[in-house]
Amino acid sequence: MSELIKVENLTIAYPMADGEVFRAIDNFSMTVSRGQIVGVVGESGAGKSTIGKATLGLLDENAVIDTGGVHLDNIMVSHLEEHAQVEIRGNKVGYIYQNPMTALNPVLTIGEQIIEAIEANTNKRGAAARDYAIALLQQAEVPLPEERLEKYPHQMSGGLCQRIVFAIAICAKPDLIIADEPTTALDVTVQKAVLDTLVRLTRQENIAIILITHDMGVVSEMCDYVYVLRHGKLVESGPAEQVLQHPKQDYSRELMAAIPRIDHKVERFAVPGGLGQVADRERAIAYLMGRQTEAGEEGQPLLRVRNLSKTFETKVTALKAATSFKAVSDVSFDVFPSETMGIVGESGSGKSTVGRLILGLHTPDPGYEIVYRGREISELKTREEKLAHRKSFQCIFQDPYSSLNPRMSAGENITYPLKAHGMLGKEEARELAGDLMELVGLPRASARKMPHAFSGGERQRIGIARALSFRPDFIFCDEPTSALDVTVQAELLNLMKDLQDQLGLTLLFVSHDLAVVRQMCDRVMVMKSGEVVESGPCDKVLVDPHEAYTQGLLAAMPRFEFAPVA
Amino acid sequence: MSAETTPVDAGTLAQRKSKEPSFAEKFRKAFRGYPSAQIGLIGIIIFVLLAIFAPLIAPQDPYDQMRLDILDGLLPPGSKLGDGTVSLLGTDALGRDIFSAVLYGLRISLVVALVAVIVGSIIGVFMGLLAAMKAGWVETLIMRTVDLKMSFPGILLALMVLAIFGTGVDKVIFALIIGAWASETRLVRAVAMSELKKEYIDSAKLAGLSDMRIMWRYLFPNSISPVLVVLPMSISGAIGTEATLSFLGVGVPITEPSLGLLIANGNDYILSGKWWISIFPGLVLVGLVLCINVVADRLRDHANPYLRGKD
Amino acid sequence: MLNFILKRLAQSGILVLVMSALVFVGMYVVSDPIAVLAGEDFTEEDRRVLAQELGVDKPLIVQYVNFLGNVAKGDFGTSFVYNRPVLDLILERLPATLEVAFMAMFIGLVIGIPLGVYSGLNQKKPTTKAISFMTTVGYSIPNFWQGVLLIMLFAVWLQWLPASGRGDTTEIFGVGWSLFNLDGLSHILLPAMNLAIYKICLQTRLARSGTQEVMYQDYMTFARAKGIGRDRLIRRHLVRNILIPIVTITGLQIGSLIAFATVTETVFSWPGIGKLLLDSIHNSDRPVVVAYLILITLMFVSINFIVDVLYALLDPRIRYT
Repeated sequence: MSELIKVENLTIAYPMADGEVFRAIDNFSMTVSRGQIVGVVGESGAGKSTIGKATLGLLDENAVIDTGGVHLDNIMVSHLEEHAQVEIRGNKVGYIYQNPMTALNPVLTIGEQIIEAIEANTNKRGAAARDYAIALLQQAEVPLPEERLEKYPHQMSGGLCQRIVFAIAICAKPDLIIADEPTTALDVTVQKAVLDTLVRLTRQENIAIILITHDMGVVSEMCDYVYVLRHGKLVESGPAEQVLQHPKQDYSRELMAAIPRIDHKVERFAVPGGLGQVADRERAIAYLMGRQTEAGEEGQPLLRVRNLSKTFETKVTALKAATSFKAVSDVSFDVFPSETMGIVGESGSGKSTVGRLILGLHTPDPGYEIVYRGREISELKTREEKLAHRKSFQCIFQDPYSSLNPRMSAGENITYPLKAHGMLGKEEARELAGDLMELVGLPRASARKMPHAFSGGERQRIGIARALSFRPDFIFCDEPTSALDVTVQAELLNLMKDLQDQLGLTLLFVSHDLAVVRQMCDRVMVMKSGEVVESGPCDKVLVDPHEAYTQGLLAAMPRFEFAPVA
Repeated sequence: MSAETTPVDAGTLAQRKSKEPSFAEKFRKAFRGYPSAQIGLIGIIIFVLLAIFAPLIAPQDPYDQMRLDILDGLLPPGSKLGDGTVSLLGTDALGRDIFSAVLYGLRISLVVALVAVIVGSIIGVFMGLLAAMKAGWVETLIMRTVDLKMSFPGILLALMVLAIFGTGVDKVIFALIIGAWASETRLVRAVAMSELKKEYIDSAKLAGLSDMRIMWRYLFPNSISPVLVVLPMSISGAIGTEATLSFLGVGVPITEPSLGLLIANGNDYILSGKWWISIFPGLVLVGLVLCINVVADRLRDHANPYLRGKD
Repeated sequence: MLNFILKRLAQSGILVLVMSALVFVGMYVVSDPIAVLAGEDFTEEDRRVLAQELGVDKPLIVQYVNFLGNVAKGDFGTSFVYNRPVLDLILERLPATLEVAFMAMFIGLVIGIPLGVYSGLNQKKPTTKAISFMTTVGYSIPNFWQGVLLIMLFAVWLQWLPASGRGDTTEIFGVGWSLFNLDGLSHILLPAMNLAIYKICLQTRLARSGTQEVMYQDYMTFARAKGIGRDRLIRRHLVRNILIPIVTITGLQIGSLIAFATVTETVFSWPGIGKLLLDSIHNSDRPVVVAYLILITLMFVSINFIVDVLYALLDPRIRYT
């Protein structure tokens, strides 16, 4: 096989405001042969996308190629003029964008966007181009291709948009497709189908793929060869199987160990996770244990939910009838003290809405029952009763970048509500904030910093500290790690398990990731379109599911096969 | 790319984030490398100082009718007046020293605009937060009123108010406040609505905090920056509107002439070649508004992530 | 779509009604036409007769209802000053205002959009910086003083163009237009330019910020990745997207153009409705002021309505909601 792409000693730098230089890619080399699928993997900040953009000359204006370059068929393409680049783009190299919904121009029809790509890169014009567009859409398995040509992107689902992007990318039968996180924005079942289509299309035409991704499962299923990047530098490369199963470098080992697995439950992930100062940590635990409320009765559920439904309605206007959408329909479950219950489902399954309903952020449809510690929560009337319930019943949020008040320091974020309720004085609050910071593994002094000074994982730790400050018995965790890199996720999940063991917390854990649920939960409830599909112990439901839907979910999960790291 | 600088990789960059810039540093950063904005800022400071110390700088008290000498009327710049002083920028028909009149006019223009914009913004921000927090009739009432106001150009609304209530400094300020609040309300509400969807607001609700606390400690500080960014633009707009109203003869009274009124007074003499009466107040007015707008542009561009490059 | 149109129509109707009431009540409560019109030597009896003649002796609500009834018949009352039907006064001056406003709008669009797109695409060029500075200056000069400068430059010093008035008009469909003869054209040029300078600056900025924003969107990068040439990229992907905010603001700006024409008309003694309004405010000619404000409300509301519909037609994302 001949070398199609050769990246040699590529260094791409961005000048920064203070006169320094930031190297997004540092002395990176790789080769891709015809028809090969090569994975470029790494966590955020690894510089993966920069490589793809350099190949197509799509780097930001202020980026500088410091050394090296990208060769396509022995032509240095990274340094070409714009007009020469236009010849290569689409024609020799196709590009698939991370988010299909934003990759298509919202004000042009699908037809206009495909046909202009065809006319730019092939000699088909007019009706021939249109026919070809329909054929391409058929190949990309877009149903009703002819009708779609007249539609706009916003009228289509993410999966369909990505198929349309595929059709555009392969229209000129390029030698190479650069796929930049092509399925990150999609659900797992959609991801599976979309990736299958991509592989089929490219195998047919012997098109090579550079697959840029953070998802080891996808790499394990698709790639022949893999390059692992960290902070812009190459960590390790080799045949996919070898790198995934027998990583040689410390970082790759850590990365592989951090991946939650569906087939095997581990006690803790084998990642280094620094905990805080012992004395502070113990003080925090002592404080929290000292405020523990009476535990629920043995064998009785801590939380009992019956017939929970939620219908969202648009308002009736003079000329328009109300439309309604049932987000959650007749959901019942129990959560027992000190256990972790999981809710798993794809987007739109209503799993987060269940959380918002039991938290009281939405009002459920009538006829429901939410009993916490033996009391119906809608019957809590006095301020004191409500506050006591709030304190016992807390939440860890999904998005670390929006879950903290950006105008309060980390410490204020944790303890302001306690101060506002008059439960703590200024000095006590500062002490507690510091102790809790150490408890979640952050230095005590950083309580003074503002949220933007912390990374996503660190913010999520602050969020946990805030939830803990009330000394809750029950914490609802709404996809707490879905926005995080896999090693950070592993550290955070370890922390949550530690805290649960020490404080005897009860967790309700929502996730779209079956593997994460497998690692975290004792029991699980699978949801689809607002309804419960099946529920039971994780070891049963996620290993040998009863329902076809769950089986499908499991089958769609990219398998990450390698020998467990001890 | 110079060889001396040490390159930074993503790892060290992530650690470096913990340094948090102070307000003064952020402010300096916004202006660094933009000489026109720096000049604008200096210009604003000079104009404000001139306005504050007008009584000390001005050779004459232009409001003191007794001291004016009609014989000094319509003298060109640099002329000697009856009392032996030299009029730097000439005199008007009443014998008033233009330089002194401009200083006092600057004062009135600035005060009127500042009072109007500050009061208008406070009302606007409060209404915006309220509309965002309270769904239902409160929101409907506020937002429909905003729509009503926004469907009229500011100048026309001000004319309408002044046609109804008559002229005077207080009436002009009132008209400008009516013109100022609605756009801020719309802006703040839009920002606040998107903030309300964020999880930190949910966390505050789950902590059992009252609506008022959420509004002041959580919503307000996170919704205010866009208003601060447009504030200079609002001020220059108010200065311009006031000048226009006064020029049209429905603004401040002749006894307290603002820059706009001074220009209007001079306008009658333009065709007869007595250009200085109208031109000097005009230059000061344009200079002031220009300085504010240059600074306002910079602040707005700085706040807009699209123009800062992707970082 | 029909729902949307009907809803907006209903809203517009309410808006006009509320505005007319506010204006009517405001004018009634504050200014007393009798005090203005009555001579020094009028007796109580004379004043009473005058009040009766003008219909201002009745309760406010009756006056308002009568007024609305008359308006529905096209009767806005009679000017105290000119002693002629108000509607006639306004209608005969309207073409002059519209003419100058639309000419300014045209100049603004034709010069502003290309300048803005150019600046947005070439952010670092010195020409862009110069354009950017010029727009800030243009933005900062108060309209009336800019008019004074134009008169000084072109009428007083260079003596190329007349300083004031409308000049000859050509009759087309019973309406006089300045655009179609040389004398009229020379008269309209300065006022139109005075109005247009602000518009040019505004359109340039809008187009520039729109361009900069759209250039960073994923779909622009993807379109480039498809191998689309630069010209097509700009013509189709860019301009289609930036047109949406431009159409909206341009539409809404017609209203402010007509309002700002008040200033320009005063400076250049242009016989349009703006000058009529100011004269009437100075003379406390209540019927004219009220009629002007109500008509202009009607006009703005119609413009906003058309803009909304246009906006929905341009942006497919809005069309179906």
